[in-house]
Amino acid sequence: MPDAARQLNRGFGRVLVVIYATFALAATARSLVQIVTRFDEAPVAYLLSAGAAVIYVVATIALARGDRTSRRVATVAIVIELAGVLAVGALSLAAPDAFPQASVWSAFGRGYLFLPLVLPIVGLWWLRRTRASQV
Amino acid sequence: MTGPLADVAVAASLILAAWCAILLVLNRAPGRSLWVGIAVTELILAVFVVWGLVELVTRDAEFARLEFALYLAGLVAVLPGAAWWVRAEKSRAAAGVLVVASLVATFMVLRVQQVWAGSGA
Repeated sequence: MPDAARQLNRGFGRVLVVIYATFALAATARSLVQIVTRFDEAPVAYLLSAGAAVIYVVATIALARGDRTSRRVATVAIVIELAGVLAVGALSLAAPDAFPQASVWSAFGRGYLFLPLVLPIVGLWWLRRTRASQV
Repeated sequence: MTGPLADVAVAASLILAAWCAILLVLNRAPGRSLWVGIAVTELILAVFVVWGLVELVTRDAEFARLEFALYLAGLVAVLPGAAWWVRAEKSRAAAGVLVVASLVATFMVLRVQQVWAGSGA
């Protein structure tokens, strides 16, 4: 029986899931509004927002389920999330014209207190820290 | 959408956040009194949301109706969702989850007012 504090979705894992769920809901809702009401203004940025929303939703569900398969899904989703925030963050600073409308990952998530940059790092740390209990 | 009821909604969710933060620091799991506090806060938020829905339907002026409706839907769901998520968590992590949820609720009440005023982006 694994120690409760070391399970993926217990203890700090519960808090992590709620933060991910908040981002998932916010990104999904924001993306829905953007695509429904003004998609032609900035299709690239809005499609990126939608992609980010999907990643957050997948990561949230995987972290919440916490079984062995979910752990792999969560790792992949969070690695994509980290790559996304780094790539979009760098591109949005290097070529601001390509991003006329802010997306959640623009400028490394500056509009969201840099949480989009910190969150995947914390997520990967937590996956690693709880790994021992799963093998 | 501004006025005493909105202020009470902000105050209630901030008090709940502070309460949960104290439990988090003291390393305590939520007790019965906190669950009552969550229920009372949710009741206040629900009244605010119903008011918002009535205003949404009856207002003639142009504003971001979809965003407004989504914020109201999220607002009424955030505390029950968080409470459900920590229903079996017997550690201070439960308090941590509720800190996040009540701060999110506070933020959403403020955003509802901004979207109503037309500054929502």
